[in-house]
Amino acid sequence: MFFVVFVAWGVTFTTFFIANVVPIDPAIAALGDNAREEQIKEFREHYGLDKPIWQQYLIYMGRLLSGDLGNSLRTGRAVLEDLKEFFPATLELSVAAFLVTLLLGVPAGILAALRQNKASDVTVRILALIGGATPVFFLAVLLQFVLARQLDLLPVQGRLDGFTFPPPRVTGMMGIDALLARDWAAFLDSLRHMVLPAFVLGMFSAAILARMTRATMLEVLSQDYIRTARAKGVPGRAVVFRHALKNASLPVLTLLGGLLGGLLSGAVLTETIFSWPGIGRYVTQSATSLDFPAVMGVTLLVGLVYALINLVVDLLYAFLDPRIRYA
Amino acid sequence: MKLLKAVGLIAAISLGSALAQDRTQTLIYGGDWSDLITMDPQVSYEFSGGLVTDNLYETLVKYEGADLSTLKPGLAESWKVDRGRDTWDITFRLRRGSKFSSGNEVTAKDVVYTFERALAIKGPGSFLFTEIAQLKPGATRAVDNYTVVVSIPKTASPGSFLSILTFNIGGIVDSETVQKNAKGNDFGKEWLTNNSAGSGPFRLVRWDRGSQVLLEANPNARIKPKLQRVILREIKEPAVLRTALESGEIDIAEGLTPEALRALSNNPRFRTLKADSLRLNYLGMNVKEGSPFANKLVRDAVRYSINQDELVNGLVQGNGTKIQTLIPKGLLGYDPRTPYTFDPARAKRLLAQAGYPNGLEFELLVSTGICGGGIPCADIAAKIQSDLAKGGFKANVKAIANAEVLRTYRAQNHQMVLVGWSPDFPDPDGNATPWADFNARSLAWRNVWNDPTAIRLANQAALETEPAKRVALYRLLTDYVLKNGPYAVLYQPAVPLGLSVKVEGYVRNAQGQVRFENISKLP
Repeated sequence: MFFVVFVAWGVTFTTFFIANVVPIDPAIAALGDNAREEQIKEFREHYGLDKPIWQQYLIYMGRLLSGDLGNSLRTGRAVLEDLKEFFPATLELSVAAFLVTLLLGVPAGILAALRQNKASDVTVRILALIGGATPVFFLAVLLQFVLARQLDLLPVQGRLDGFTFPPPRVTGMMGIDALLARDWAAFLDSLRHMVLPAFVLGMFSAAILARMTRATMLEVLSQDYIRTARAKGVPGRAVVFRHALKNASLPVLTLLGGLLGGLLSGAVLTETIFSWPGIGRYVTQSATSLDFPAVMGVTLLVGLVYALINLVVDLLYAFLDPRIRYA
Repeated sequence: MKLLKAVGLIAAISLGSALAQDRTQTLIYGGDWSDLITMDPQVSYEFSGGLVTDNLYETLVKYEGADLSTLKPGLAESWKVDRGRDTWDITFRLRRGSKFSSGNEVTAKDVVYTFERALAIKGPGSFLFTEIAQLKPGATRAVDNYTVVVSIPKTASPGSFLSILTFNIGGIVDSETVQKNAKGNDFGKEWLTNNSAGSGPFRLVRWDRGSQVLLEANPNARIKPKLQRVILREIKEPAVLRTALESGEIDIAEGLTPEALRALSNNPRFRTLKADSLRLNYLGMNVKEGSPFANKLVRDAVRYSINQDELVNGLVQGNGTKIQTLIPKGLLGYDPRTPYTFDPARAKRLLAQAGYPNGLEFELLVSTGICGGGIPCADIAAKIQSDLAKGGFKANVKAIANAEVLRTYRAQNHQMVLVGWSPDFPDPDGNATPWADFNARSLAWRNVWNDPTAIRLANQAALETEPAKRVALYRLLTDYVLKNGPYAVLYQPAVPLGLSVKVEGYVRNAQGQVRFENISKLP
């Protein structure tokens, strides 16, 4: 808990410091070329930008302690409102990408380990190499061009077709909102729109996961207890899934936690290319206009989610490994 | 059981698609709308905000089609300007029977409320009312239900005021509905950020920030649109914009790259359009004492060094118009003459005359972003650099973030900048005063150009009400600034658009206004 608070403080301090050493005036960035001197002066006063930096920081921290993330310099809205608006889209996409990671990475890794040095292993390893080395934007544009434009199988961008009426906003996650409204057409349409961005976003982590799963599985499969299990006649499937996979899952789990966090913060490019209205796109736009309350809000949110994921991973350890117990 | 579920699902899907709106009734307009921050007509001062609110709210007077020089009746069926003792009194007669989306009739009290609201809220565009028109609280009066008189001081230009009224800040709001939704003293500002209360042909149904804006035909509007729904889809990446247009996900793509435009022009399913803008891309030269550009000969040498034809036809690929004077094409007083031709030998002679026989080295500031016409500013700077080299200059190009370019420029700390300018309102004064009047603390001030002749001409032209005399004055001014001013105008960029051939009636005026009610879609 103390660690989380320390991390949060570090995040605010670093972001604040970076935002203030960049030699760009947020007032001019927000108001543009035609803005009059009086407007710029008013803007600075309104947002307290005319005060010394240390004072600005203290004011910000004071507000933060009461749960107020301040107002965005660019949109004028409360940052918390903006986060509520954009985070669900990112969460939806990250979870979908995480499923892609799991469903591609783990089976591919197991397959490769069981068929070590055979054709399927080599294929998995080559694919993992390509998947891990292909830049996101290249993969995205390539898939958009082939699957969406040439073959017309999937949509190019957005969360819903323009001709589909969006369901009422409840959670902000389009698929869930469509389900809640029992709007099956919108639900299927939202799934169709999720395929490409989720695949593109999940590809890199799936490649890493496949390699990790393969390596740990190989290690576990060479252990004595596996040989014992096989010797006493335990069926092959049970050996792989009950004995080997469970023991191989610990290091994989650690990796997964990191990967999920990475998906959340790594959605910047994917969101931009697929016009996905999440925090990745929001933070890019905020950063270029030096909207530091917004950047800080996103950084804090991502930091907290990371901490949360780590906590969940730690708890899962205990579940998977009876030797670990928390008092 | 499973079979039953599957049948149900299929039935639901087919029902959904049957219910889905007829495709010819929905227009999907893709572009970078990321500057959208509010739908409130008196607050919005962004391009995209104007694009939306112009279709939600009607103004008293308006421009039609691409013409920005003739005012047409809007909510006011007629208007006249009277010379009072100390004021200009502008009387508007409202049409009867115009209705807001709530069903309330548009009357004089709504006009008074709207103008007072604009003054009270003090949005980013409010200087148009307070400074340009010098409008004061209480200066808008309802004479009867359908007559409004607005008085502005004699020092303000009635022509400018009327042209300002075509902007969204002059979009008349439903005073009853807005007051009902007001919180404290906010004049309904919070509510109007996400809702509409206008008499325009469309009403706002839904705004998913960062994603799309959904408009539907306003059932009570006087102007009946040809389409039922318009969706503005936010797509920031030009490459994705093109793919989305080609795959039929959007009907119109605004802001394509020159390459995409060329590719689409060879495809029979699409047509391309280079819509005018009122923007001018130019070089600004700091003429403060001690600066080499303080010498008029040096500024002339710069203007003779630039190969404008090569720039416009080559690098800009026709996504812009060649222009040298300060009033853009499309506005009253535009002067098409281009007396400065590419003549590096003459530039070298002028430089030698000015005391720089061995050339002149200086810094050229430029943004790292995209300049008008979809071209990276740095590319334009490189072209200018090589042109200037032929004329004997050595320009050291420094590319920095746009906000930083502006900060330096506004502090008068540049030697030469490459920037753009769009007028705040569609009147020649929207350019003339900033470019010529040092006291306006705008472009002339930033370049430290304090010239009494230019200031006198700009002020005189702004207040002239007779159009022919006004044009004559602007002729004098534009010619004077062209030859003496601290600028070298490069080109007037166009906005590159791609449209499905099914879309008809699309017109984008140089202010970026598009009247959705005139657009229709073929099956």
